[in-house]
Amino acid sequence: MVRRKVFSAFNYLVLVLLLAIMVFPLVWMFRVSLMSAGGSIDIGRIFNVDFTLANYRDLFLAHNMGRYLFNSLFVGLTVTVGNILFCFMVAYALARYKYLHNKLLFMTVIVVLMIPAHILIVPLYILMVKTGLYDSYWALILPWLVNPIGIFLVKQYIESIPSSMEEAARLDGAGELRILVRIVMPLCKPALAVLAIQVFFTNWNSFLFPYILTSSDDVRTLPVGLALYQGHQAIDWQHLMAGSGVAVLPILILFILMQRQIVSGITAGAVKQ
Amino acid sequence: MKPSRSTALALVLPWLLTLAVFWLFPLVISFVMGFTDFRLLVKDYQWVGLANYRALFSDQDFIKALKNTFIFVLGTIPVTTVLSLSMALLVSRRFKGRGVFRAAYFLPSITSMVVIALIFTNLYQRGGYVVLLAKLVGLTPPENGLLYDSSTALFSIMAMDVWMSVGYYMLIFLAGLKSIPEELYEAAEIHGAGAVRRLFSITLPLLKPVALFILVINSIKSFQVFVEIFVMTKGKFDTSTAVYFVYETGLTTGFKSGYASAAAYVLFVIIALFSAMWFLLLRRRQALW
Repeated sequence: MVRRKVFSAFNYLVLVLLLAIMVFPLVWMFRVSLMSAGGSIDIGRIFNVDFTLANYRDLFLAHNMGRYLFNSLFVGLTVTVGNILFCFMVAYALARYKYLHNKLLFMTVIVVLMIPAHILIVPLYILMVKTGLYDSYWALILPWLVNPIGIFLVKQYIESIPSSMEEAARLDGAGELRILVRIVMPLCKPALAVLAIQVFFTNWNSFLFPYILTSSDDVRTLPVGLALYQGHQAIDWQHLMAGSGVAVLPILILFILMQRQIVSGITAGAVKQ
Repeated sequence: MKPSRSTALALVLPWLLTLAVFWLFPLVISFVMGFTDFRLLVKDYQWVGLANYRALFSDQDFIKALKNTFIFVLGTIPVTTVLSLSMALLVSRRFKGRGVFRAAYFLPSITSMVVIALIFTNLYQRGGYVVLLAKLVGLTPPENGLLYDSSTALFSIMAMDVWMSVGYYMLIFLAGLKSIPEELYEAAEIHGAGAVRRLFSITLPLLKPVALFILVINSIKSFQVFVEIFVMTKGKFDTSTAVYFVYETGLTTGFKSGYASAAAYVLFVIIALFSAMWFLLLRRRQALW
Protein backbone atom coordinates (compact mmCIF):
# COMPACT_ATOMS: atom_id res chain seq x y z
CA MET A 1 0.00 0.00 0.00
CA VAL A 2 2.74 2.42 0.98
CA ARG A 3 4.72 1.40 -2.07
CA ARG A 4 1.76 2.08 -4.27
CA LYS A 5 1.33 5.55 -2.74
CA VAL A 6 4.98 6.44 -3.26
CA PHE A 7 4.67 5.19 -6.81
CA SER A 8 1.64 7.29 -7.56
CA ALA A 9 3.23 10.36 -6.00
CA PHE A 10 6.17 9.89 -8.32
CA ASN A 11 3.78 9.45 -11.24
CA TYR A 12 2.04 12.69 -10.45
CA LEU A 13 5.37 14.45 -10.22
CA VAL A 14 6.28 13.29 -13.74
CA LEU A 15 2.83 14.19 -15.02
CA VAL A 16 2.95 17.70 -13.58
CA LEU A 17 6.49 18.30 -14.79
CA LEU A 18 5.46 17.26 -18.30
CA LEU A 19 2.40 19.47 -18.04
CA ALA A 20 4.61 22.45 -17.23
CA ILE A 21 6.89 21.76 -20.18
CA MET A 22 3.99 21.32 -22.59
CA VAL A 23 2.00 24.33 -21.51
CA PHE A 24 4.66 26.88 -20.60
CA PRO A 25 5.46 28.15 -24.12
CA LEU A 26 1.81 28.94 -24.75
CA VAL A 27 1.42 30.62 -21.38
CA TRP A 28 4.55 32.64 -22.10
CA MET A 29 3.08 33.69 -25.45
CA PHE A 30 -0.06 35.06 -23.80
CA ARG A 31 1.96 36.70 -21.04
CA VAL A 32 4.20 38.55 -23.50
CA SER A 33 1.18 39.56 -25.58
CA LEU A 34 -0.22 41.34 -22.52
CA MET A 35 2.98 43.26 -21.63
CA SER A 36 3.17 46.92 -22.46
CA ALA A 37 5.10 47.51 -25.67
CA GLY A 38 8.78 48.42 -25.77
CA GLY A 39 11.73 47.32 -23.70
CA SER A 40 13.42 43.97 -23.81
CA ILE A 41 11.53 40.88 -22.79
CA ASP A 42 13.46 39.61 -19.84
CA ILE A 43 12.41 36.95 -17.45
CA GLY A 44 11.68 39.34 -14.60
CA ARG A 45 8.84 40.92 -16.52
CA ILE A 46 6.73 37.79 -16.31
CA PHE A 47 6.07 38.62 -12.66
CA ASN A 48 5.56 42.37 -13.05
CA VAL A 49 2.03 43.62 -12.66
CA ASP A 50 1.96 44.84 -16.22
CA PHE A 51 -1.12 43.79 -18.12
CA THR A 52 -2.52 45.61 -21.11
CA LEU A 53 -4.66 44.81 -24.12
CA ALA A 54 -3.05 47.63 -26.08
CA ASN A 55 -1.04 45.24 -28.28
CA TYR A 56 -4.19 43.54 -29.46
CA ARG A 57 -5.82 46.87 -30.12
CA ASP A 58 -2.79 48.09 -32.12
CA LEU A 59 -2.89 44.98 -34.27
CA PHE A 60 -6.42 45.62 -35.38
CA LEU A 61 -6.12 49.39 -35.72
CA ALA A 62 -2.63 50.01 -37.02
CA HIS A 63 -1.80 46.67 -38.61
CA ASN A 64 -3.66 44.39 -40.94
CA MET A 65 -4.71 41.86 -38.34
CA GLY A 66 -8.42 42.38 -38.92
CA ARG A 67 -8.02 41.60 -42.58
CA TYR A 68 -5.86 38.52 -41.93
CA LEU A 69 -8.38 37.27 -39.42
CA PHE A 70 -11.22 37.75 -41.87
CA ASN A 71 -9.30 36.00 -44.64
CA SER A 72 -8.45 33.06 -42.40
CA LEU A 73 -12.05 32.72 -41.29
CA PHE A 74 -13.44 33.09 -44.81
CA VAL A 75 -11.05 30.62 -46.41
CA GLY A 76 -11.28 28.20 -43.48
CA LEU A 77 -15.07 28.15 -43.39
CA THR A 78 -15.45 27.89 -47.17
CA VAL A 79 -13.04 24.98 -47.37
CA THR A 80 -14.78 23.32 -44.43
CA VAL A 81 -18.27 23.63 -45.93
CA GLY A 82 -16.94 22.46 -49.28
CA ASN A 83 -15.38 19.41 -47.70
CA ILE A 84 -18.54 18.50 -45.81
CA LEU A 85 -20.52 18.66 -49.03
CA PHE A 86 -18.11 17.12 -51.52
CA CYS A 87 -16.56 14.48 -49.29
CA PHE A 88 -20.05 13.37 -48.37
CA MET A 89 -21.07 13.11 -52.01
CA VAL A 90 -18.01 11.12 -53.02
CA ALA A 91 -18.16 8.94 -49.93
CA TYR A 92 -21.80 8.14 -50.56
CA ALA A 93 -21.13 7.20 -54.16
CA LEU A 94 -18.20 5.01 -53.17
CA ALA A 95 -20.09 3.33 -50.37
CA ARG A 96 -23.39 2.67 -52.16
CA TYR A 97 -22.96 2.53 -55.90
CA LYS A 98 -21.25 -0.56 -57.08
CA TYR A 99 -21.17 0.45 -60.75
CA LEU A 100 -18.25 2.73 -60.21
CA HIS A 101 -14.95 1.10 -60.29
CA ASN A 102 -14.85 1.28 -56.58
CA LYS A 103 -11.42 -0.24 -56.16
CA LEU A 104 -9.87 2.05 -58.72
CA LEU A 105 -11.24 5.16 -57.04
CA PHE A 106 -10.18 3.90 -53.68
CA MET A 107 -6.66 3.37 -54.99
CA THR A 108 -6.67 6.96 -56.20
CA VAL A 109 -7.51 8.11 -52.70
CA ILE A 110 -4.58 6.18 -51.30
CA VAL A 111 -2.21 7.45 -53.97
CA VAL A 112 -3.20 11.06 -53.31
CA LEU A 113 -2.64 10.45 -49.63
CA MET A 114 0.87 9.24 -50.37
CA ILE A 115 1.85 12.19 -52.56
CA PRO A 116 3.90 14.62 -50.49
CA ALA A 117 2.62 18.15 -50.91
CA HIS A 118 6.11 19.56 -51.50
CA ILE A 119 6.08 18.27 -55.09
CA LEU A 120 3.27 20.71 -55.80
CA ILE A 121 5.08 23.83 -54.61
CA VAL A 122 6.48 24.84 -57.99
CA PRO A 123 3.83 23.47 -60.41
CA LEU A 124 0.88 24.72 -58.37
CA TYR A 125 2.45 28.17 -58.22
CA ILE A 126 2.88 28.17 -61.99
CA LEU A 127 -0.63 26.85 -62.55
CA MET A 128 -2.15 29.58 -60.39
CA VAL A 129 -0.14 32.30 -62.11
CA LYS A 130 -1.06 31.02 -65.59
CA THR A 131 -4.76 30.73 -64.77
CA GLY A 132 -4.88 34.12 -63.11
CA LEU A 133 -5.99 32.60 -59.82
CA TYR A 134 -2.74 33.59 -58.10
CA ASP A 135 -3.23 35.93 -55.15
CA SER A 136 -6.99 35.35 -54.96
CA TYR A 137 -9.22 33.43 -52.57
CA TRP A 138 -9.71 30.83 -55.30
CA ALA A 139 -6.07 29.80 -55.05
CA LEU A 140 -6.49 29.17 -51.33
CA ILE A 141 -9.80 27.34 -51.64
CA LEU A 142 -10.12 25.29 -54.84
CA PRO A 143 -7.27 22.78 -54.43
CA TRP A 144 -8.39 21.91 -50.89
CA LEU A 145 -12.12 21.53 -51.41
CA VAL A 146 -12.13 17.73 -51.34
CA ASN A 147 -9.81 16.06 -48.87
CA PRO A 148 -9.19 12.36 -49.59
CA ILE A 149 -8.85 11.62 -45.87
CA GLY A 150 -12.32 13.08 -45.46
CA ILE A 151 -13.72 10.83 -48.15
CA PHE A 152 -12.18 7.87 -46.41
CA LEU A 153 -13.60 8.86 -43.03
CA VAL A 154 -17.16 9.45 -44.23
CA LYS A 155 -17.18 6.40 -46.50
CA GLN A 156 -16.36 4.13 -43.59
CA TYR A 157 -19.15 5.73 -41.60
CA ILE A 158 -21.75 5.37 -44.35
CA GLU A 159 -20.85 1.72 -44.79
CA SER A 160 -21.72 1.14 -41.14
CA ILE A 161 -25.25 2.48 -41.71
CA PRO A 162 -27.75 -0.09 -43.06
CA SER A 163 -29.07 0.91 -46.46
CA SER A 164 -32.64 -0.28 -45.71
CA MET A 165 -33.91 3.23 -45.00
CA GLU A 166 -32.67 4.53 -48.31
CA GLU A 167 -34.23 1.60 -50.13
CA ALA A 168 -37.56 2.14 -48.40
CA ALA A 169 -37.51 5.80 -49.41
CA ARG A 170 -36.59 4.82 -52.95
CA LEU A 171 -39.58 2.47 -53.10
CA ASP A 172 -41.78 5.33 -51.93
CA GLY A 173 -40.57 7.27 -54.94
CA ALA A 174 -38.15 9.69 -53.31
CA GLY A 175 -35.54 11.12 -55.65
CA GLU A 176 -31.83 10.53 -55.17
CA LEU A 177 -31.11 14.08 -54.08
CA ARG A 178 -33.86 13.95 -51.50
CA ILE A 179 -32.59 10.66 -50.09
CA LEU A 180 -29.10 12.06 -49.90
CA VAL A 181 -29.96 15.31 -48.17
CA ARG A 182 -32.91 14.25 -46.03
CA ILE A 183 -31.96 10.74 -44.96
CA VAL A 184 -28.29 9.90 -45.29
CA MET A 185 -26.71 13.23 -44.47
CA PRO A 186 -28.44 13.68 -41.09
CA LEU A 187 -27.36 10.15 -40.15
CA CYS A 188 -23.75 11.06 -40.95
CA LYS A 189 -23.63 14.07 -38.66
CA PRO A 190 -21.09 12.62 -36.23
CA ALA A 191 -18.64 11.76 -39.00
CA LEU A 192 -19.20 15.09 -40.73
CA ALA A 193 -18.53 16.95 -37.48
CA VAL A 194 -15.22 15.13 -37.10
CA LEU A 195 -14.37 15.93 -40.70
CA ALA A 196 -15.34 19.59 -40.33
CA ILE A 197 -13.22 20.20 -37.28
CA GLN A 198 -10.21 18.49 -38.78
CA VAL A 199 -10.42 20.34 -42.07
CA PHE A 200 -10.91 23.66 -40.33
CA PHE A 201 -7.93 23.16 -38.03
CA THR A 202 -5.62 22.08 -40.82
CA ASN A 203 -6.68 24.99 -42.97
CA TRP A 204 -6.50 27.54 -40.16
CA ASN A 205 -2.94 26.55 -39.35
CA SER A 206 -1.63 26.00 -42.86
CA PHE A 207 1.22 28.17 -44.01
CA LEU A 208 3.17 26.81 -46.97
CA PHE A 209 0.59 27.12 -49.76
CA PRO A 210 -1.19 30.25 -48.53
CA TYR A 211 2.25 31.85 -48.42
CA ILE A 212 3.35 30.69 -51.85
CA LEU A 213 0.08 31.43 -53.61
CA THR A 214 -0.52 34.97 -52.36
CA SER A 215 1.31 38.25 -52.50
CA SER A 216 -1.04 40.88 -51.12
CA ASP A 217 -2.49 41.56 -47.69
CA ASP A 218 -5.98 41.43 -49.17
CA VAL A 219 -5.97 37.64 -49.30
CA ARG A 220 -3.19 36.63 -46.90
CA THR A 221 -4.21 34.51 -43.97
CA LEU A 222 -3.17 34.88 -40.32
CA PRO A 223 -0.18 32.50 -40.28
CA VAL A 224 1.24 34.16 -43.40
CA GLY A 225 0.73 37.63 -42.00
CA LEU A 226 2.40 36.60 -38.74
CA ALA A 227 5.40 34.95 -40.35
CA LEU A 228 6.01 38.00 -42.54
CA TYR A 229 5.38 40.53 -39.76
CA GLN A 230 8.37 39.11 -37.95
CA GLY A 231 10.65 40.26 -40.75
CA HIS A 232 9.49 43.85 -40.74
CA GLN A 233 11.69 45.34 -38.07
CA ALA A 234 13.72 44.38 -35.05
CA ILE A 235 11.42 41.81 -33.55
CA ASP A 236 8.55 43.46 -31.75
CA TRP A 237 7.66 40.59 -29.46
CA GLN A 238 4.64 42.06 -27.73
CA HIS A 239 2.75 42.61 -30.95
CA LEU A 240 3.99 39.41 -32.52
CA MET A 241 2.80 37.37 -29.56
CA ALA A 242 -0.52 39.22 -29.52
CA GLY A 243 -0.95 38.25 -33.17
CA SER A 244 -0.08 34.68 -32.25
CA GLY A 245 -2.68 34.89 -29.52
CA VAL A 246 -5.30 35.88 -32.08
CA ALA A 247 -4.30 32.86 -34.17
CA VAL A 248 -4.43 30.46 -31.21
CA LEU A 249 -7.57 31.60 -29.37
CA PRO A 250 -10.19 30.28 -31.83
CA ILE A 251 -8.41 26.93 -31.93
CA LEU A 252 -8.25 26.84 -28.16
CA ILE A 253 -11.96 27.55 -27.80
CA LEU A 254 -12.92 24.97 -30.44
CA PHE A 255 -10.63 22.47 -28.77
CA ILE A 256 -12.34 22.91 -25.41
CA LEU A 257 -15.79 22.66 -26.98
CA MET A 258 -15.15 19.79 -29.37
CA GLN A 259 -12.40 17.72 -27.81
CA ARG A 260 -14.21 14.46 -28.46
CA GLN A 261 -14.60 15.06 -32.20
CA ILE A 262 -11.01 16.18 -32.52
CA VAL A 263 -9.64 13.13 -30.80
CA SER A 264 -11.81 10.70 -32.73
CA GLY A 265 -10.81 12.34 -35.99
CA ILE A 266 -7.17 11.80 -35.23
CA THR A 267 -7.45 8.23 -34.06
CA ALA A 268 -9.96 7.07 -36.71
CA GLY A 269 -7.32 6.40 -39.32
CA ALA A 270 -4.88 4.71 -37.00
CA VAL A 271 -6.96 2.02 -35.39
CA LYS A 272 -9.13 1.02 -38.34
CA GLN A 273 -6.48 0.08 -40.82
CA MET B 1 -35.49 0.89 -58.69
CA LYS B 2 -31.77 1.42 -58.45
CA PRO B 3 -29.79 4.63 -58.55
CA SER B 4 -28.35 5.37 -61.91
CA ARG B 5 -24.81 5.42 -63.07
CA SER B 6 -25.07 9.07 -64.03
CA THR B 7 -26.10 10.06 -60.51
CA ALA B 8 -23.05 8.34 -59.18
CA LEU B 9 -20.83 10.10 -61.66
CA ALA B 10 -22.36 13.46 -60.82
CA LEU B 11 -21.58 12.86 -57.16
CA VAL B 12 -17.93 12.09 -57.81
CA LEU B 13 -17.40 14.73 -60.46
CA PRO B 14 -16.35 17.70 -58.28
CA TRP B 15 -13.74 15.54 -56.66
CA LEU B 16 -12.41 14.14 -59.93
CA LEU B 17 -12.18 17.66 -61.33
CA THR B 18 -10.18 19.17 -58.46
CA LEU B 19 -8.09 16.03 -58.27
CA ALA B 20 -7.20 16.21 -61.94
CA VAL B 21 -6.63 19.96 -62.16
CA PHE B 22 -4.90 20.74 -58.88
CA TRP B 23 -3.13 17.50 -58.00
CA LEU B 24 -2.53 15.10 -60.87
CA PHE B 25 -1.88 17.69 -63.55
CA PRO B 26 0.72 19.61 -61.48
CA LEU B 27 2.24 16.31 -60.50
CA VAL B 28 2.80 15.30 -64.12
CA ILE B 29 3.91 18.81 -65.13
CA SER B 30 6.41 18.80 -62.32
CA PHE B 31 7.81 15.45 -63.42
CA VAL B 32 8.18 16.61 -67.01
CA MET B 33 9.68 19.92 -65.90
CA GLY B 34 12.37 18.00 -64.09
CA PHE B 35 13.88 17.13 -67.47
CA THR B 36 13.98 20.71 -68.74
CA ASP B 37 15.87 23.87 -67.86
CA PHE B 38 12.56 25.71 -67.43
CA ARG B 39 12.79 28.95 -65.48
CA LEU B 40 9.80 30.75 -64.12
CA LEU B 41 10.26 34.11 -65.81
CA VAL B 42 11.90 32.87 -69.00
CA LYS B 43 9.82 31.78 -71.98
CA ASP B 44 12.22 29.44 -73.75
CA TYR B 45 13.28 26.17 -72.34
CA GLN B 46 15.10 23.11 -73.53
CA TRP B 47 15.11 19.44 -72.82
CA VAL B 48 18.12 18.55 -70.80
CA GLY B 49 17.46 14.91 -70.10
CA LEU B 50 18.89 13.79 -66.80
CA ALA B 51 21.16 16.82 -66.46
CA ASN B 52 19.14 18.28 -63.56
CA TYR B 53 19.39 15.07 -61.63
CA ARG B 54 23.09 14.77 -62.29
CA ALA B 55 23.66 18.37 -61.28
CA LEU B 56 21.71 17.86 -58.04
CA PHE B 57 24.07 15.23 -56.76
CA SER B 58 27.06 17.46 -57.19
CA ASP B 59 25.24 20.50 -55.80
CA GLN B 60 26.70 21.10 -52.36
CA ASP B 61 23.62 23.02 -51.22
CA PHE B 62 21.32 20.15 -52.13
CA ILE B 63 23.52 17.54 -50.50
CA LYS B 64 23.72 19.68 -47.38
CA ALA B 65 19.93 20.09 -47.38
CA LEU B 66 19.42 16.35 -47.80
CA LYS B 67 21.88 15.64 -45.01
CA ASN B 68 20.08 18.05 -42.68
CA THR B 69 16.75 16.47 -43.60
CA PHE B 70 18.08 13.03 -42.71
CA ILE B 71 19.49 14.31 -39.43
CA PHE B 72 16.10 15.81 -38.71
CA VAL B 73 14.16 12.65 -39.55
CA LEU B 74 16.48 10.14 -37.93
CA GLY B 75 16.95 12.35 -34.89
CA THR B 76 13.34 13.21 -34.16
CA ILE B 77 11.41 10.06 -35.06
CA PRO B 78 12.91 7.67 -32.47
CA VAL B 79 12.67 10.27 -29.71
CA THR B 80 9.11 11.25 -30.61
CA THR B 81 7.98 7.64 -30.86
CA VAL B 82 9.49 6.50 -27.56
CA LEU B 83 8.36 9.62 -25.71
CA SER B 84 4.82 9.52 -27.04
CA LEU B 85 4.51 5.82 -26.21
CA SER B 86 5.77 6.44 -22.68
CA MET B 87 3.35 9.30 -22.26
CA ALA B 88 0.50 7.17 -23.56
CA LEU B 89 1.34 4.44 -21.04
CA LEU B 90 1.52 7.07 -18.31
CA VAL B 91 -1.90 8.57 -18.97
CA SER B 92 -3.68 5.36 -19.96
CA ARG B 93 -4.44 4.31 -16.39
CA ARG B 94 -7.25 5.73 -14.37
CA PHE B 95 -6.38 8.61 -12.09
CA LYS B 96 -7.74 11.98 -11.11
CA GLY B 97 -7.36 14.73 -13.69
CA ARG B 98 -6.37 12.34 -16.44
CA GLY B 99 -8.38 14.26 -19.04
CA VAL B 100 -6.67 17.53 -18.20
CA PHE B 101 -3.20 16.05 -18.60
CA ARG B 102 -4.09 14.42 -21.90
CA ALA B 103 -5.58 17.64 -23.24
CA ALA B 104 -2.59 19.70 -22.14
CA TYR B 105 -0.08 17.32 -23.74
CA PHE B 106 -2.07 17.36 -26.93
CA LEU B 107 -2.51 21.13 -27.09
CA PRO B 108 0.75 22.02 -28.89
CA SER B 109 -0.02 19.73 -31.81
CA ILE B 110 -3.16 21.62 -32.79
CA THR B 111 -1.43 24.98 -32.55
CA SER B 112 -0.22 26.63 -35.73
CA MET B 113 3.36 25.76 -36.63
CA VAL B 114 4.05 29.41 -37.40
CA VAL B 115 2.96 30.43 -33.91
CA ILE B 116 5.00 27.71 -32.26
CA ALA B 117 8.06 28.63 -34.31
CA LEU B 118 7.66 32.26 -33.28
CA ILE B 119 7.32 31.41 -29.61
CA PHE B 120 10.40 29.21 -29.70
CA THR B 121 12.34 31.85 -31.59
CA ASN B 122 11.75 33.94 -28.50
CA LEU B 123 12.60 31.15 -26.06
CA TYR B 124 15.78 30.26 -27.97
CA GLN B 125 17.10 33.80 -28.36
CA ARG B 126 19.83 35.33 -26.25
CA GLY B 127 18.38 35.77 -22.77
CA GLY B 128 15.39 33.58 -23.67
CA TYR B 129 14.03 31.01 -21.24
CA VAL B 130 15.60 27.94 -22.79
CA VAL B 131 19.01 29.60 -22.96
CA LEU B 132 18.80 30.60 -19.30
CA LEU B 133 17.65 27.13 -18.36
CA ALA B 134 20.60 25.63 -20.22
CA LYS B 135 22.97 27.92 -18.31
CA LEU B 136 21.31 26.93 -15.08
CA VAL B 137 22.18 23.28 -15.60
CA GLY B 138 25.76 24.19 -16.44
CA LEU B 139 25.72 24.20 -20.22
CA THR B 140 27.25 27.00 -22.25
CA PRO B 141 24.80 27.94 -25.00
CA PRO B 142 26.18 30.00 -27.91
CA GLU B 143 26.59 33.72 -27.38
CA ASN B 144 23.99 34.79 -29.97
CA GLY B 145 21.24 32.44 -28.94
CA LEU B 146 20.53 28.88 -30.02
CA LEU B 147 19.22 29.65 -33.50
CA TYR B 148 22.15 31.79 -34.61
CA ASP B 149 24.81 29.14 -34.34
CA SER B 150 25.41 26.21 -36.64
CA SER B 151 26.21 23.87 -33.79
CA THR B 152 22.81 24.24 -32.12
CA ALA B 153 20.29 25.65 -34.61
CA LEU B 154 19.10 22.42 -36.23
CA PHE B 155 18.99 20.51 -32.95
CA SER B 156 16.98 23.27 -31.31
CA ILE B 157 14.43 23.12 -34.10
CA MET B 158 14.32 19.32 -33.78
CA ALA B 159 13.69 19.59 -30.04
CA MET B 160 10.82 21.97 -30.70
CA ASP B 161 9.37 19.54 -33.21
CA VAL B 162 9.46 16.70 -30.73
CA TRP B 163 7.81 18.93 -28.14
CA MET B 164 5.11 19.84 -30.60
CA SER B 165 4.23 16.42 -31.94
CA VAL B 166 4.51 14.01 -28.97
CA GLY B 167 0.96 14.78 -27.82
CA TYR B 168 -0.46 13.90 -31.21
CA TYR B 169 1.24 10.51 -31.39
CA MET B 170 0.41 9.91 -27.72
CA LEU B 171 -3.27 10.10 -28.65
CA ILE B 172 -2.82 7.58 -31.44
CA PHE B 173 -0.94 5.22 -29.13
CA LEU B 174 -3.73 5.66 -26.56
CA ALA B 175 -6.30 4.56 -29.11
CA GLY B 176 -4.11 1.54 -29.83
CA LEU B 177 -3.80 0.72 -26.14
CA LYS B 178 -7.56 0.89 -25.75
CA SER B 179 -8.06 -1.70 -28.46
CA ILE B 180 -6.02 -4.32 -26.57
CA PRO B 181 -8.46 -6.65 -24.81
CA GLU B 182 -8.36 -6.39 -21.02
CA GLU B 183 -8.58 -10.20 -20.64
CA LEU B 184 -5.07 -10.63 -21.98
CA TYR B 185 -3.66 -8.67 -19.07
CA GLU B 186 -5.83 -10.51 -16.57
CA ALA B 187 -4.72 -13.86 -17.91
CA ALA B 188 -1.10 -12.80 -17.83
CA GLU B 189 -1.43 -11.61 -14.26
CA ILE B 190 -2.96 -14.92 -13.20
CA HIS B 191 0.00 -16.70 -14.72
CA GLY B 192 2.31 -14.51 -12.70
CA ALA B 193 3.62 -12.17 -15.39
CA GLY B 194 5.04 -8.95 -13.92
CA ALA B 195 4.46 -5.47 -15.24
CA VAL B 196 7.60 -5.49 -17.37
CA ARG B 197 6.79 -8.89 -18.82
CA ARG B 198 3.26 -7.77 -19.64
CA LEU B 199 4.60 -4.67 -21.38
CA PHE B 200 6.99 -6.63 -23.59
CA SER B 201 4.81 -9.67 -24.28
CA ILE B 202 1.40 -8.08 -24.65
CA THR B 203 1.39 -4.33 -25.01
CA LEU B 204 4.29 -3.74 -27.38
CA PRO B 205 3.63 -6.61 -29.82
CA LEU B 206 -0.04 -5.69 -30.08
CA LEU B 207 0.78 -2.04 -30.64
CA LYS B 208 2.81 -2.86 -33.73
CA PRO B 209 0.16 -1.88 -36.32
CA VAL B 210 -0.32 1.46 -34.57
CA ALA B 211 3.44 1.96 -34.35
CA LEU B 212 3.74 1.26 -38.06
CA PHE B 213 1.08 3.86 -38.80
CA ILE B 214 2.87 6.39 -36.60
CA LEU B 215 6.27 5.74 -38.14
CA VAL B 216 4.97 6.09 -41.68
CA ILE B 217 2.97 9.25 -40.98
CA ASN B 218 5.81 10.80 -39.00
CA SER B 219 8.37 10.00 -41.71
CA ILE B 220 6.24 11.53 -44.44
CA LYS B 221 5.72 14.64 -42.32
CA SER B 222 9.28 14.97 -41.09
CA PHE B 223 10.90 14.61 -44.50
CA GLN B 224 8.87 17.63 -45.54
CA VAL B 225 9.97 19.90 -42.71
CA PHE B 226 9.71 23.47 -43.97
CA VAL B 227 7.63 25.97 -42.00
CA GLU B 228 9.80 25.96 -38.89
CA ILE B 229 12.91 26.45 -41.02
CA PHE B 230 11.31 29.29 -42.92
CA VAL B 231 10.15 31.10 -39.81
CA MET B 232 13.13 30.48 -37.53
CA THR B 233 16.31 30.53 -39.62
CA LYS B 234 15.50 30.91 -43.33
CA GLY B 235 17.82 27.97 -43.91
CA LYS B 236 20.83 29.72 -42.45
CA PHE B 237 23.18 28.24 -39.84
CA ASP B 238 23.13 24.77 -41.38
CA THR B 239 19.39 24.30 -41.18
CA SER B 240 18.36 24.21 -44.83
CA THR B 241 16.24 21.14 -45.59
CA ALA B 242 15.17 19.45 -48.82
CA VAL B 243 11.81 21.19 -49.08
CA TYR B 244 13.42 24.49 -48.16
CA PHE B 245 15.86 23.87 -51.01
CA VAL B 246 12.96 23.22 -53.41
CA TYR B 247 11.26 26.42 -52.29
CA GLU B 248 14.42 28.50 -52.46
CA THR B 249 15.66 27.34 -55.87
CA GLY B 250 12.21 27.09 -57.42
CA LEU B 251 10.50 30.22 -56.22
CA THR B 252 13.18 32.66 -55.09
CA THR B 253 16.78 32.85 -56.32
CA GLY B 254 16.89 32.20 -60.06
CA PHE B 255 13.42 30.66 -60.24
CA LYS B 256 14.91 27.42 -61.51
CA SER B 257 11.62 25.56 -61.71
CA GLY B 258 12.94 22.57 -63.65
CA TYR B 259 15.81 22.06 -61.28
CA ALA B 260 13.60 22.46 -58.21
CA SER B 261 11.10 19.95 -59.59
CA ALA B 262 13.86 17.39 -60.03
CA ALA B 263 14.87 17.97 -56.40
CA ALA B 264 11.27 17.51 -55.28
CA TYR B 265 11.09 14.16 -57.07
CA VAL B 266 14.31 12.97 -55.50
CA LEU B 267 12.76 13.66 -52.10
CA PHE B 268 9.55 11.92 -53.19
CA VAL B 269 11.48 8.76 -54.03
CA ILE B 270 13.29 8.92 -50.69
CA ILE B 271 10.00 9.25 -48.82
CA ALA B 272 8.46 6.35 -50.73
CA LEU B 273 11.47 4.13 -50.04
CA PHE B 274 11.46 5.08 -46.38
CA SER B 275 7.75 4.26 -45.99
CA ALA B 276 8.24 0.95 -47.76
CA MET B 277 11.13 0.20 -45.41
CA TRP B 278 8.95 0.62 -42.33
CA PHE B 279 6.38 -1.74 -43.83
CA LEU B 280 8.94 -4.41 -44.59
CA LEU B 281 10.71 -4.04 -41.27
CA LEU B 282 7.63 -4.26 -39.09
CA ARG B 283 5.83 -6.88 -41.17
CA ARG B 284 8.84 -9.18 -41.21
CA ARG B 285 9.31 -8.93 -37.47
CA GLN B 286 5.70 -9.79 -36.88
CA ALA B 287 6.04 -12.97 -38.89
CA LEU B 288 9.10 -13.99 -36.91
CA TRP B 289 7.44 -13.57 -33.56
